Amino acid sequence: MGGLGTALLALGALLSLLVVALTCVSGVGLLLVRNTLQIVRSTAGRERARLSRWGPEIIDPGPLPDDLKSLVRDPMVHRELGWVALHAVFGFVLGIFGLTLPLNAAQNVTYPLWFQAVDGSDGGPGLVWWPLRDLGDALLVGLTGLLWLALTIGFLPLMARAQAASGRWLLTPSGDVDLSLRVAQLAATRAAALDAHAAELRRIERSLHDGTQNRLVAVNVLLGAARRALNRNPDSAGEILERAQDATEQALAELRTVVRGILPPVLADRGLEGALSGLAGNSGVPCHLEVDVPGRCAISVEATAYFVVAEALTNVTKHSGASKATVTVRRDRDRLLLHIEDDGHGGADEISGSGIGGIRRRVEAYDGRLVLTSPPGGPTSMQVELPCGS
Amino acid sequence: MRIVIAEDEPLLREGLALLLRAEGLEVAATTEDPSSFLAAVEKHEPDVAIVDVRMPPTHTDEGIVAAVEARRRRPELSVLVLSAYVEQAFATDLLAGGAARLGYLLKERVGRVEEFLEALHRVADGGTAIDPEVVGQLLTCTRPDSGLERLSTRERDVLAAMAEGLGNAAIAERMFVTEGAVHKHIRSIFAKLDLAPSDRADRRVTAVLRYLESEQRR
Repeated sequence: MGGLGTALLALGALLSLLVVALTCVSGVGLLLVRNTLQIVRSTAGRERARLSRWGPEIIDPGPLPDDLKSLVRDPMVHRELGWVALHAVFGFVLGIFGLTLPLNAAQNVTYPLWFQAVDGSDGGPGLVWWPLRDLGDALLVGLTGLLWLALTIGFLPLMARAQAASGRWLLTPSGDVDLSLRVAQLAATRAAALDAHAAELRRIERSLHDGTQNRLVAVNVLLGAARRALNRNPDSAGEILERAQDATEQALAELRTVVRGILPPVLADRGLEGALSGLAGNSGVPCHLEVDVPGRCAISVEATAYFVVAEALTNVTKHSGASKATVTVRRDRDRLLLHIEDDGHGGADEISGSGIGGIRRRVEAYDGRLVLTSPPGGPTSMQVELPCGS
Repeated sequence: MRIVIAEDEPLLREGLALLLRAEGLEVAATTEDPSSFLAAVEKHEPDVAIVDVRMPPTHTDEGIVAAVEARRRRPELSVLVLSAYVEQAFATDLLAGGAARLGYLLKERVGRVEEFLEALHRVADGGTAIDPEVVGQLLTCTRPDSGLERLSTRERDVLAAMAEGLGNAAIAERMFVTEGAVHKHIRSIFAKLDLAPSDRADRRVTAVLRYLESEQRR
């Protein structure tokens, strides 16, 4: 299916290539060479991503060379041009067959169920040439449907492989290029992981400094004030001491949050899905959880995802008045996508101190994105996108 | 004494105000970010401003920048900067405008109320209050061959107290000696370090701190 999609794109790219090649004769097309090759590159990029999903990863060669000369000489550009031509023709034809085979099968198998609704006197669906008059004829069509089905099951995987072959052959960078691309990619992801690590340390430092430490300082100030009060006005000391105790409790709560936020132990024990299902199970409102994350992300990213869901569910319980919540977590290539939705009365914002500001800070520390929609009357939906760092 | 407070942590802000009011001092305004602080300084014309270093929006050195700006706008304003940790670079930024009417203390010093009030009054009266931690950092980081080697232990203690901004009487009290003895130590220190002696406390602080900075290991 996806192969047909990229084949259509390749067809488009091929057509624009032809147009540009023709206009090149008059000179005008030269201006468009780069843009057209860009179209080819992004089409090839889609095919690489598609093939990487179904088999061994094909590394993306990155952006096109800058100047026209090396652009025209670039071996990868040549291979991509070859692929566009192949894929636009054979990939397209294979894709069409791949589409019609199961359609024919479905149509013919179900034909006995709806043959009375159509006039079958001048032939049936697909390659059925005999006239169709009664149930028997229709059942015969149904039998051909089974034949189509067998063909579909037998040939579709082969066709998919044949369709992918041109891409696997032409879009894979040659050995040493592939290796250097892989090194570059590894260096980039490693740098991203280190950045994420530094961001995490900064976040912890800040929450210890601006939260816990400040509250302890407040306790200290209040105790100092209480001691002064004891000498002069003992009656007021009790009230000040009570404040000091409140501040101590807040400091402890803050410390607990910080420690839990550093790395929830459950994450290491049971992975993201297990940890999240624990959260969903303990949520104050019934929570439906869907996790589709193959493999594991960087542990700090998982910790952030866990924190986001934990905070969001706390908000849902405390503020939304919702009767149920839905949490969806899935991975789209190198991004981890979280979606938390409730059926509450909405109206959540970042100013009212519901912890959304904290969520945003933490997400943005990872170059992630947070989109909150919460119209008055609800529902509230929070979408968070995090780079996986792996 | 009229005071304006800039501190973003509500508990500490209210705690400070409570403490100062209990001491009979006038807290004209409490603010939580640099811009409202500067506005309050314009409006209430306080004698002293107490400023936290880390404030919104970035929670880095907003307080230092705001303190420097407030001092620029109203040179007669005394500023006491409070910080969760001391950073010598911050002290240097603050001292660029002179040490008079300036304090830079660790937040936890506020808990020792008598000492805190003493530092507050000193700053309000045109003096200086530099946290012992900052002075300690400066003293321990000096090169082994600096002039400090020539000082006796007693003289080093006096030097540290001078750098904190204490006057002769306060130094004498802290070290349980007479003012005359302190005076003698100070003369000896200035001679050994080749500094021009001065009786004005703030000039003395600047001289000592500059000296210590110049002697720092790089």
